[in-house]
Amino acid sequence: MYEPVLEIRSLRKTFTLHTVDGRTVVSLRGIDLDVSAGEHVALAGASGAGKSSLLRCVHRSYLPDAGTVTLHTGGGPVELTALPDRAMARLRGRELGYVAQFLTTPPRTGPLEVVAAAGRRRGLRGPEASEAAAAALRRLALDEALWDVDCGVLSGGERQRVNLAAGTVSPPRVLLLDEPVSALDPANRERALALMESLTGRGVAVLAVYHDTAVMHRLASRVVRLADGLVVAEGSPDEVLGAVA
Amino acid sequence: MSSPSTSSISSAAATVGELLAGSARPAEDRGILDEGAKREIRRAALSAVCVPGYQVPFGSREMPVARGWGSGGLQVTLAVVGAADTVKVIDQGDDDGVNATNLRRLITGSVGCAETTDSREASVVQTRHRVPEQPLAADDVLVLQVPVPEPLRGVQKSVAECARMHAEADYSSIWVSLYEDLVHNGVISRSTGYPVLVDGRYVMATTPIPRWDVPRLHRSTHLSLFGAGREKRIYAVPPYTDVVPLTFDDVPFEVEGARGARCARCGSVDTFLVEHGSARFGCSDTEWCDRVRAGDADAEAHRAAAPLALLPEAARRAGRQRPPVETRPLPPPRRTGCADGTDWTLKVDRIGKVHGPGGAAAVPGTGPEHRTAVSPVTGAVVAAWDIGFDVAPGEALGLIGESGSGKSTVLRCLVGEEAATTGTVRLAAVDRGRTDVLSLTPAQRRRLRIDVLGFVHQDPAAGLTLNVTAGGNIAERLTAAGWRSYRDIRARAAALLDRVEVPLVRMDDPVATFSGGMRQRVQIAKALATDPAVLLLDEPTTGLDASVAAGVLDLLRGLLAERDAAAVVVSHDFGVIEALTDRSLVMQLGRVVEQGLTDQLFRDPHHPYTQRLVAAARR
Repeated sequence: MYEPVLEIRSLRKTFTLHTVDGRTVVSLRGIDLDVSAGEHVALAGASGAGKSSLLRCVHRSYLPDAGTVTLHTGGGPVELTALPDRAMARLRGRELGYVAQFLTTPPRTGPLEVVAAAGRRRGLRGPEASEAAAAALRRLALDEALWDVDCGVLSGGERQRVNLAAGTVSPPRVLLLDEPVSALDPANRERALALMESLTGRGVAVLAVYHDTAVMHRLASRVVRLADGLVVAEGSPDEVLGAVA
Repeated sequence: MSSPSTSSISSAAATVGELLAGSARPAEDRGILDEGAKREIRRAALSAVCVPGYQVPFGSREMPVARGWGSGGLQVTLAVVGAADTVKVIDQGDDDGVNATNLRRLITGSVGCAETTDSREASVVQTRHRVPEQPLAADDVLVLQVPVPEPLRGVQKSVAECARMHAEADYSSIWVSLYEDLVHNGVISRSTGYPVLVDGRYVMATTPIPRWDVPRLHRSTHLSLFGAGREKRIYAVPPYTDVVPLTFDDVPFEVEGARGARCARCGSVDTFLVEHGSARFGCSDTEWCDRVRAGDADAEAHRAAAPLALLPEAARRAGRQRPPVETRPLPPPRRTGCADGTDWTLKVDRIGKVHGPGGAAAVPGTGPEHRTAVSPVTGAVVAAWDIGFDVAPGEALGLIGESGSGKSTVLRCLVGEEAATTGTVRLAAVDRGRTDVLSLTPAQRRRLRIDVLGFVHQDPAAGLTLNVTAGGNIAERLTAAGWRSYRDIRARAAALLDRVEVPLVRMDDPVATFSGGMRQRVQIAKALATDPAVLLLDEPTTGLDASVAAGVLDLLRGLLAERDAAAVVVSHDFGVIEALTDRSLVMQLGRVVEQGLTDQLFRDPHHPYTQRLVAAARR
């Protein structure tokens, strides 16, 4: 078994809504979770169980209230919740990727540039990044005619493929995926799944949220079920989700 | 000099009349200037000799000639001339003009000295418009009547600002005027008043004389004194002083005239010629012309000294005015690190700015928790307090907050437009981060704005000179940083404008003819001209309509990634901050209320104020 790359301990997150009446909403109540290199961990659970919040707390789009998130990089362990903002911003490019359900790109940028920019952040040189970006987009069968048009005009499925290509080009050590195939038709979905399957073979640690149990059965090496901000079950897909009918 | 006897002053019974009668007075005083006035003018002239090219103010007297008719030169002449001197006066090179004749009579009548029209006999020559063709002797004095002594007058209206520019030897605006002249006319067309650098320090106006005479001031054997009566200034070029006309390294200085033109009277080709009718020329210096005709001139020595090599030559300047068609990409940036090994380029510590009385004492009782920036103690406005951050190369930091939250104040304190009440600012480029930039002199801080800090204002008019071309605006920065090659400046300006997507055909148009978005692009190009390590952007897209703002935003995003500069972006617009920065500070009522990764502030704002801002930004 691999050493864990990502170690989450007692992670808590509560939102205080000052604009409403100062009420608090508890999202995570103390999560413990490890992800190893080459492991694909899927988060299961009902809406509001805290799946996406967990991903965002690891990525630091949300700032956790308590607990630790330790990332084992080539240069040793790094505790992410206390990492200075600048170091976190740098680490995000190289070590920690996040693919959101919806594409958030800089406006007026084409898919090729979006993916190449992601590659450059992970250390690819200019022409190298463009080649890798082209290969990634081709692999996800994005029509080449769309490569230089504004991402804002793409369909939901096209955007999701761009997003996935950007997240997986020269993949980082840890990849966080939030519903990455929710908007894809069957053919494209199959390409995307094949791509994600190949990531674990390359030693990437994946922590993902899927709403589709079939995807979890296919991709996940382990499934973690969350409920009300806590881990309630953990094991192989068959153990947690039940065997495929 | 004689003084009244002490006994007559101490006499208790003396009246003023008796005192005056008892004091020794000059036996004969027909002078226009009293001794006190002469002393003052001599003192000013001596100061001027000590600081070559520097304009010394003096108490200009009323003269019996109209101001602008030689009153300054006349005062200088009367102060330096003695009864043993011989005076020559010329106007437009002519001894016999009405003005020259009258001035000569006035001087000789007042001082009792001799007069002449022969430069070889004269010890003091007062002149308007010319330096005599006959070289002056070593102890002669040339007095020039100056109408406009300020070489910067054409480019800077404020007298105080002109004084500052001279004090700091900040002459970039005059270089820009030469650049603009070349762009518009293909040659430097300025004739009289050509700016020269005297003794390597002060830029001086040679106002009365043509370019032809300018080389003859360089290391001249005689003393030149310039008197401006209306403007109350005296300046000087002592003997053997360097006088170098300002021109770009690759643009030759030229004198007026045409090859082959000759005087219709004496046949000289090596004198300053003026037109007599159509296509006929005559010597401007009538004395010289007469002497050449009489065979009483050392024509050979004169020809050897004449600036014939500087006559205009079309071949040397062919194709100069067209914008470059091809541009090379900007060279990659160069950056220096800090002494202590940390990687910041800019580090701001506990900056504070209080408008009004009290300083730090005004701070208690202000800030977000008190819901006011106005001190309850002193009434002062605490615009910013205890602001600290550092920025690394290639990193962009956002300052976000509503109008009046103090974000622009912080930026202005950084750049030196406002004096911070407290705090320190360090730059890796200055003493490798060991020196507090706020402790530097205003001149040193202005220097920083040329080569270390690039600033982009919300209003392009604040960062650009609108009646100057796009290229000229960039040239201002480059010449301030010491660039002196016209071709290099053109090439760099073209590369910058190309990078910010301003069409090169517009390079030589005044910025005033540009649209708002295009002006902002030019301002960005100007800010980048010297490849500064720090870029400060104050609401860079706020004044622009949505589609134009989007283009400028895209440009800035590309530039920040490419130039490896440390950037601080001030905006009230979360969209701008999100597009450009990785980290941000949220300011309210002069304080930082929250800071973090920009996307975290946007998705998971903690402070009530930030939550309100984010909610407001979601439309």
